[in-house]
Amino acid sequence: MRDGDQDDLQLHRRLLAGDRGAFDDLYRRYSAPAYGLAYRITGQQILAQDVVHEAFLALWRAPEAFDAARGAFRTFFLSLVHHRAVDTVRREERMRKRQERASNLEEVVGEDVAEDVVDAVDIAGRRSEIRVALGTLPPEQRQVLELAYFQGMTQVQIAEHIQIPLGTVKTRTLAAMRKLRRELERKDDA
Amino acid sequence: MRPEYPTDHETIEGLLAGYALGGLTGDDAELADRLLTEHVPSCVACRGTLMAFRDVTADLALSVDPLPPPETLLPRLHRELEPRHGRRRPMQALAMAAGVVAVVGLAGLTISQGMRASNASAKAEDLQAAAAIAVRPDAELVPVGPVHEVSAPGMSEFYLIGSCPEPPDGSVYRLWLVADGRATFVTDFQPDDGQVVVAVPFDPSRFDDIWISVETADSEPSTPSDQRWQASGPPAPSAA
Repeated sequence: MRDGDQDDLQLHRRLLAGDRGAFDDLYRRYSAPAYGLAYRITGQQILAQDVVHEAFLALWRAPEAFDAARGAFRTFFLSLVHHRAVDTVRREERMRKRQERASNLEEVVGEDVAEDVVDAVDIAGRRSEIRVALGTLPPEQRQVLELAYFQGMTQVQIAEHIQIPLGTVKTRTLAAMRKLRRELERKDDA
Repeated sequence: MRPEYPTDHETIEGLLAGYALGGLTGDDAELADRLLTEHVPSCVACRGTLMAFRDVTADLALSVDPLPPPETLLPRLHRELEPRHGRRRPMQALAMAAGVVAVVGLAGLTISQGMRASNASAKAEDLQAAAAIAVRPDAELVPVGPVHEVSAPGMSEFYLIGSCPEPPDGSVYRLWLVADGRATFVTDFQPDDGQVVVAVPFDPSRFDDIWISVETADSEPSTPSDQRWQASGPPAPSAA
């Protein structure tokens, strides 16, 4: 169990009892990572805000949806945010506009802003590890991974987008996921 | 025609990778759904793979720079956080406001007229505190048998106030807070001239229910009897 996971479990137990203080604490821990992710995927502040709003509201209304036996809370919650963000993007059918905005994202989301909120979840170290792990991927594997995760593309769309066979997309996806898994598990064990 | 069901773990792992990334469509999505219901639950290796891939995708989320959401978002959420307790049966707003005033007023009148001075002083302080909560716009009044729980969001205490019949001879009322199916003893109490004012130093939102049981005086407060009132509704003490 990583740093912060135990705190998350305690907060979740309080949330199950309807404790609004626990909700606020979880909001403080995860609103910035969630909003950063939602904004990265949707490319629009208003959509990102709606995604995070819906995710936290869903957490409040059905906290039992998280099962600690199936993984860490942050895995559950950020996956929830990701799914909602991707659904939003697909629903809105604004892929092209989002890509245009995404190209300017680094200017909007600066390192200084990030450092203010990273400590709240103690993920600064993890973020660095993940970026290092991503850096170990061959470019063609990283490309399919990022198109799927951050742009919400299906494997079929990725194949069309970069004009490679669907089978190649699947192969690269699996290879990328396996390598990331190994890299991150190795860092966990270190 | 249904897509051919994969039997080798290489193919299955590929589907789980695509599933974890949310990138499957068509036959692949259908196969993944079948795998998740028919195979993965009983396969230790695939369960581990799926969990690991989910961890990877969650980690991908953390790779993005955090970005503080607009300051208006949390207040917007607060406005939509309706009480979620099974025990809560909040009264209509107007009825609740009137009920709080009536309950606090009646108890205060009884205390001022009928109690010994020292006891009345402590009870009056509790009543004053309960009244301060009751006038809040977000105050909640929840019936627990013949008395009411008076509380408000964010408070670390609540009050039980109201008219209450005397328990049977040799008995007391016993207060319990219930969470995760377990009842924790809080205190024994008896009405004074038919009125109850009990200060409870716990945030009620942390508990699923409030029970008031009828117990033999001086008995060990281990488990509540079946003779009890519950904030979530019946049963009620048959002896009371």
